[in-house]
Amino acid sequence: MSSSTLEVPGNTPTPRYFGREKSRTKSDKLFSGSIIVAALSSLFVLTAILIYLGSNSWPVLVEQGISFVTGSEWSTTDGVEVFQIWPMLYGTLLNAIIGLVIAVPVSVFLALFIVFLAPRNLSKVLTVVIDILAAIPSGIIGLWGFLVFTDTAAGWGQLLNQYLGWIPLFANDQNQFARSPFIAGWVLAIMIIPIITVVSREVLAQTPQELLDAARGLGGSLSGSIRMVALPHARGGIVGGVMLGLGRALGETIAIYFVLNLIFDVNIYKILNPEGGAIASMIVAKFGEATPNEINALLGAGLILFIMTLFVNLAANYIVKRSQREKLI
Amino acid sequence: MTITLEKPINPVKPPKPWAKRNKSTVISNAIAVIFPILVLAALFFTTEIPGPVLVVVVFFPLQLLTAGVTSFMDKGKRGIGDAVLSVGCVTAFGLVVALLGSVVLSVIARGFPAIRFSFLTQNNIYISPTTDLTYGGIGHALLGTLLVVLIATLIAVPLGIASAIYITDIKGRAAGFVRFMVQAMSGVPSIVAGLFIFAAIILTDVVGFSAIAGGLAYAILMLPTVARTAEEVLRLVPKEVRDAAVALGSSRARVTMRIVLPTAKTGLITAVVLGVARIIGETAPLLLTTSNANNTNLNPFSDPVSTIPVYIFQYLGSGYQTSIQRAWGAALVLLIVVAILFGLTRYLSRNKRGNV
Repeated sequence: MSSSTLEVPGNTPTPRYFGREKSRTKSDKLFSGSIIVAALSSLFVLTAILIYLGSNSWPVLVEQGISFVTGSEWSTTDGVEVFQIWPMLYGTLLNAIIGLVIAVPVSVFLALFIVFLAPRNLSKVLTVVIDILAAIPSGIIGLWGFLVFTDTAAGWGQLLNQYLGWIPLFANDQNQFARSPFIAGWVLAIMIIPIITVVSREVLAQTPQELLDAARGLGGSLSGSIRMVALPHARGGIVGGVMLGLGRALGETIAIYFVLNLIFDVNIYKILNPEGGAIASMIVAKFGEATPNEINALLGAGLILFIMTLFVNLAANYIVKRSQREKLI
Repeated sequence: MTITLEKPINPVKPPKPWAKRNKSTVISNAIAVIFPILVLAALFFTTEIPGPVLVVVVFFPLQLLTAGVTSFMDKGKRGIGDAVLSVGCVTAFGLVVALLGSVVLSVIARGFPAIRFSFLTQNNIYISPTTDLTYGGIGHALLGTLLVVLIATLIAVPLGIASAIYITDIKGRAAGFVRFMVQAMSGVPSIVAGLFIFAAIILTDVVGFSAIAGGLAYAILMLPTVARTAEEVLRLVPKEVRDAAVALGSSRARVTMRIVLPTAKTGLITAVVLGVARIIGETAPLLLTTSNANNTNLNPFSDPVSTIPVYIFQYLGSGYQTSIQRAWGAALVLLIVVAILFGLTRYLSRNKRGNV
């Protein structure tokens, strides 16, 4: 863009007042320099996390080879140390999927309710309620999940098993319903509902009023115009919000630690059995009495968790950003 | 060029034919809401089918049916989708309010009996999990949390605000990259932050389990929140303010430090409070960095220190009646602190549009 273009008032980007080439005072250079150094701190921290977790766990990772992520045994007793995290890795994903299956419909309906259906005052109150839910510390959710919610949810699990037990998903061969991935999924859902709802609400509220009016004018019902106009328009943002929630669900530690029974034996689909896994919770569970080698193995598990969440989170941000860019056109 | 029209003094409200309601619609809607509830109540009290099963098998289908039928009578075929939509929305709303209500009410109801003056001020020396609630408390953990959060704030706030200044004010070549990195950092799981600090400074014997290690781990989690909020706030500083400062011959440092930051002061405080609220309840990183203690420790550089989240973790794990009451008590205190911080952010950002 050339500088001779006539600029429309109110539409100019903030100019860069201070060009790089122009001579600057010493204090200005010092100021910019220190700001740049400080701004790069996040890059520094992320690189340092990779280096420290990677270098400390490298010997263990080499020794265990690929079976570190594919095997199902964790033992330090027989003199031979075996560290394999597959059940925890799989369990992390299973919990997150159960959490998303519960949270996504609830969040999207809730966002639709806030934006389109609820009276103005109720949607204001509901926005605050969602913010409060997001602000509750995970330790408190864990405490509540362990002492209050587990009983209720175990009852739901038992009923599911009683009436739908012929579906393999709801089979239970332990006759015990507490501390199952089903309950862990519910607890995760409570923690990610606010994340998905907030993002969905924002993108749904940006649906152009003209498009909605046009849909109504053509004789569409409210549900029809939401299905044909608002949801397609907000799809990218909602998917991004779901991915952000997924990132949170993968890294959740304390709440899962209290409501899930961690077993080093992969539980593929029996979500009502009291057997499950979660990398982050496993790290807390094993950390206290770990041998030096075991500590390094835990750092390796943390490294894998870090890389996993990093990818999910970056993908989420990319999707949200892309959907916002599309909207400007 | 834009032409602004003056606002009409008495704007004519557009007619809304779809919003018109006659008496029969209201009555049929009321029946559609009340009838399923009555059936549910009747079955619940007369049969022995468990409540959740009734809700899923009887109440939902019936509610969908009645809502669908009344909408159909009201608006024809198009109304059925609307009925599904409203039943779904109200269900989601009810579920979330019930879950949140359960969390908050159980913390208040079960935590309140533990709260007394000594619980807030005494520390945990000579206290076993079965000691009576009149002795011992979370005083040491309150001070510990304060110390760790203070350290994290001192580290994360300057770095976070500097990142925001770089993106909005300096607009350097790497602005997009810095924003990308901040976003990537906001996804770091709390346990990974703890593991990193453990590997970087505790395994290498720089310091042991201590408040400074916990503060550093907290700072990693706090920085992205502060940076992203501060960035949004600094964007709101009017261009004219910067223009005026530059036109008067201010240097870059002066524009930022003396003009932009003071203008955005309230918003920046909000960013700090949001950052504190984000970290104050995190347990996982502290388990690996501050460990736990029973005594009051105000030396940030050595010896373990107790914090509220870790106190809850410790007492929940031990499983005795009184210790669980202590955990609920500490949870209530934590919840109150979070509520105060939350109220503070809303108070500070109440007239965002009026002044920045």
